[in-house]
Amino acid sequence: MEALKAAGEINGAELVRRARAGDGVAWEEIVQAFSRRIFNLAYRFTSNADSAEDLTQEVFIRIYRTLDQYDAKQGDLANWLMRLARNLIIDDYRHRQRNPQNTMADTVDDHQYHLRAVGTSAHKEMERRELAAQVQEGIDKLPADLKTCVILRDIEEMTYQEIVDVLQIPEGTVKSRINRGRIELAKILRRMRVVTI
Amino acid sequence: MTYDKQKLINCTQFEESLTDYLDKTLDRATFKAAAEHAISCPLCHSLLNEVKGALAACRDLAEPKLPLTRLEAKILASTVPNASLHCEEFEDYLTDYLDGFLPAQVFHRWERHAVLCNDCTDLPGAVVRSLAAIVAYKADELPVPAGLHDRIMRETVGTTRAKEARASMADQFKEWVRGFSFPISIPQLAPVAMMLMFAFLVFSQTVSADGSLTDVYAKSFQLAEQTYEQGAAAWNGKVPDASLNQEPITGATYVEDKK
Repeated sequence: MEALKAAGEINGAELVRRARAGDGVAWEEIVQAFSRRIFNLAYRFTSNADSAEDLTQEVFIRIYRTLDQYDAKQGDLANWLMRLARNLIIDDYRHRQRNPQNTMADTVDDHQYHLRAVGTSAHKEMERRELAAQVQEGIDKLPADLKTCVILRDIEEMTYQEIVDVLQIPEGTVKSRINRGRIELAKILRRMRVVTI
Repeated sequence: MTYDKQKLINCTQFEESLTDYLDKTLDRATFKAAAEHAISCPLCHSLLNEVKGALAACRDLAEPKLPLTRLEAKILASTVPNASLHCEEFEDYLTDYLDGFLPAQVFHRWERHAVLCNDCTDLPGAVVRSLAAIVAYKADELPVPAGLHDRIMRETVGTTRAKEARASMADQFKEWVRGFSFPISIPQLAPVAMMLMFAFLVFSQTVSADGSLTDVYAKSFQLAEQTYEQGAAAWNGKVPDASLNQEPITGATYVEDKK
């Protein structure tokens, strides 16, 4: 969140101009400002820390190569960069869905271990991490099209129109998938006893 | 029961007048005295709150809200069966209900189904709790793995030390030039292009002999007249007048002044 705040404050156009000219410090600033958000988005789609790391690296390489296309008049850097990142991550997710042999998703235990390893030893912190792991597990159990819509709407907080633009599907379909995805997720989390009656 | 305006009431008197106080049947002076006592005496203040709470609980017992709603829903479902929703429809409208976008006519049918259907009655609550879990999950961002920044820097600028990657003078100059975009945007180019074309027309003397602006219009009329005469002659099968210029009229046609 702090990185996001910082990302909003930086002068995107100036940073991109310097990075395009080959200024490593400017590019490093961009990487530091957005890497956490992009890594987390990648993790939500891949459910695997290693895959998310590789995907984040791939996304930044693509961003670096397309810095020439950034036009400050079309919107701020955060919007442009996150739109590009979302498209790449969703493309990758769809590709992995079509080619399940390439899926590198590990077991729930593995990423629970990862989440625990990151946190502190405090009991509350552990509970929070546990909940996060369970929600991630619930999201993973959703069908691919519902999962994409739920992540974009309820985690990325995108508007219906933004989701329409990213996924290139009608607004009615987006709404229906979000609704169905929320219901399915609630049922899954209820079965997992993450949410109780 | 009345009290002297000047005299404060004690705890026993307050207790005796408590029911009248709550029912607001005391005279004005006594009511005021009781209210002042309730504020100043912690014991009587606590007693007042306890009695108020007990009365509220009794009212709730006397008027059970949920069974009544359920009863209403049952009556409506049995008397107007067409107005009920199926479980699939109920689920379809769930997000609209939570977002507050459900039309009024569907809203009541939806709520009735939520009360009556045992399979669906817990679903809205479960979805809300699931959304709350997502909010907590969203706030719990993972940190960037160690070494990822270095990997990205190595793959993009070729070094992990950002300060080593400096922009060359040529690239800086290129970016500097790039910063000077053409000051006129594309939509504004159309009128500019028209003005340039018009200026070219005037100064290139393709129509006007003397290049003046007024002469351009005069020559245009003459050309139009000449064109009409040629067309009319051809249509009527007349022999073309040898005195007239029968060459096809082009942008470079010179028109002699008839004056």
